Amino acid sequence: MSEIIKIKNVIKEFKVLNRREGLKGSLKDLFSRDYKIVRAVDNISMNIEQGEIVGYLGPNGAGKSTTIKMMTGVLEPTSGEILVDGNIPYQNRTKNAQKIGVVFGQRSQLWWALPLVESFKLLKDIYQIPDAEYDGMLKLYQSLVDIGPLLHKAVRQMSLGQRTLSDILAAFLHNPKIVFLDEPTIGLDVSMKAKIRTLIHALNKEKKTTVILTTHDMGDVDALCQRIVIIDKGKMLYDNDIEHLKGFFGSYRTLKIRVEGDLKAQADIIRREVPDFSVSADDEWISVLVDEDKNKVIDVLGLLQKTHKIRDMQLEEISTEEVIKKIYEEGVQ
Amino acid sequence: MKLKKYLTLTRAGIIEALQFRLSFLVMVVGNMLYLIVVYFLWKAIYASAGTDVVNGMTFTDTLIYLVLATALFNFMEMYTVWEIGRNIQSGKIVLDLLKPMEYRKYLFWSYSGSFVTQFFLTFLPTFIAVAFVTHGAIHMGLNLLYFVISVVLAVSINYSIDFLVGTICLYTESIWGINIMKQVIVLLLSGATIPLAFFPEPLKTIVGYLPFQSIYNAPLSILLDSAPQPHTLLVTLGTQLLWCVVMIILSKLFWKASLKQITVNGG
Repeated sequence: MSEIIKIKNVIKEFKVLNRREGLKGSLKDLFSRDYKIVRAVDNISMNIEQGEIVGYLGPNGAGKSTTIKMMTGVLEPTSGEILVDGNIPYQNRTKNAQKIGVVFGQRSQLWWALPLVESFKLLKDIYQIPDAEYDGMLKLYQSLVDIGPLLHKAVRQMSLGQRTLSDILAAFLHNPKIVFLDEPTIGLDVSMKAKIRTLIHALNKEKKTTVILTTHDMGDVDALCQRIVIIDKGKMLYDNDIEHLKGFFGSYRTLKIRVEGDLKAQADIIRREVPDFSVSADDEWISVLVDEDKNKVIDVLGLLQKTHKIRDMQLEEISTEEVIKKIYEEGVQ
Repeated sequence: MKLKKYLTLTRAGIIEALQFRLSFLVMVVGNMLYLIVVYFLWKAIYASAGTDVVNGMTFTDTLIYLVLATALFNFMEMYTVWEIGRNIQSGKIVLDLLKPMEYRKYLFWSYSGSFVTQFFLTFLPTFIAVAFVTHGAIHMGLNLLYFVISVVLAVSINYSIDFLVGTICLYTESIWGINIMKQVIVLLLSGATIPLAFFPEPLKTIVGYLPFQSIYNAPLSILLDSAPQPHTLLVTLGTQLLWCVVMIILSKLFWKASLKQITVNGG
């Protein structure tokens, strides 16, 4: 296998104007030269091989999108090297564009007034896809998802799920070597999420396309990624295969409960009752992180139910945020 | 094969424009209202002047000029500045930049479809109506051919100016003021709102050295000149060609330099 993306010691800094408060401050800002440097990506290195699906995780504002934009050539790194299939992306953006596909979460690259098939035809001409290849791709799509009814529907009339699906298909259409998916399953229902995961998986298998996936949904990661890279505040925290990470957090569940009374105060009480667990509270829920290898969720619930009146409860997989928090707190063995 | 890459965008633009049937109706009505205002305004101006010929133009001349200028505006105005500004604000520009095509070309060809539809749906009907109503005040001859050439050059100049102004949005991240300013300057100095013949001498000289008059004044004066001198024709088209090349180079250079500035804050 060959390495398709090489990133070495990449740093990206943004110059941001220091904004002041109020009307007076805003007026002053008009003439201000008071910039601060924000380091969005801080010394990241990784190599990605052809055909891999890499989960690129991190909380909001961690620098994920910035890294992806540098790989696509829209942003130039402040320092460091990026090579995408032998090209320096920001110097050969147009050449690079031919080899990559992108889906940026909420934005669509499709022509929204036109039926999907017209967008496909446009992309076919823009990317100069040969007829045979284009037909083959459509056949493949047809075998993977039922695109028949979608093809003649105007994009603006599609549901979010259908549109995301179409966008993903559009990104793969010119058979790129790499596809970047930035939060593709955001805001979708469970069945659509599953459909999209299956699709990405199949396309990766079929076309050996390298996929870089950013997401907040651990379900996406579980279903698709062999390898995970986690960054936070621009720094790389973790780069290894998923089994490794699973061993680390796989047995954790988040038990979310809602009790009577002020949640923050109740959370303090619970913290005293179960000192071994990480307890946090927001406006709606009290979350208790339970390691199922050590304790059963049902026991914890039973314990809490003795002293509190639980009105509602949820059980969730550990979230990316919590994984990162734990990595921070304990480090990765 | 190479050209197909661009023409496919034109084709999509046409289909896209045809999706919005109602907007045509609204536009036609809007234009009629504007032309009615223009008609009465200039009628009043001529009435108060007391003579039939003002600045070498009769009332009919002026009206034909302005009606055609409006029609020309309708199909030349590409709202490029809006488009670039909106794309920058929404971040969609990232997706456009990731097309294997120069952004300048991509945007132009994406809009070219609306040229074609606007040409056939607004300019041509207006032109025919004017020619019909004025009983041959417009000379039908070789000048039509020169006019088409002139319009092609005008479209290119207009686009380059728009693109140049649109690029400024990269720095300001706001569109409205810049766009309004551009529109007022271009429409006034190009002779789209007031025929250049009405300008005072010094202003006329200055305008002559600016690219704007190549957009509206040049094609219209070619069209309305019933007996064009080869010399005038050459000068007009030559000036247009010169500005066309200069503006393309300028807007390209400015865009290239500005692209480095794109930060497109993530998220």
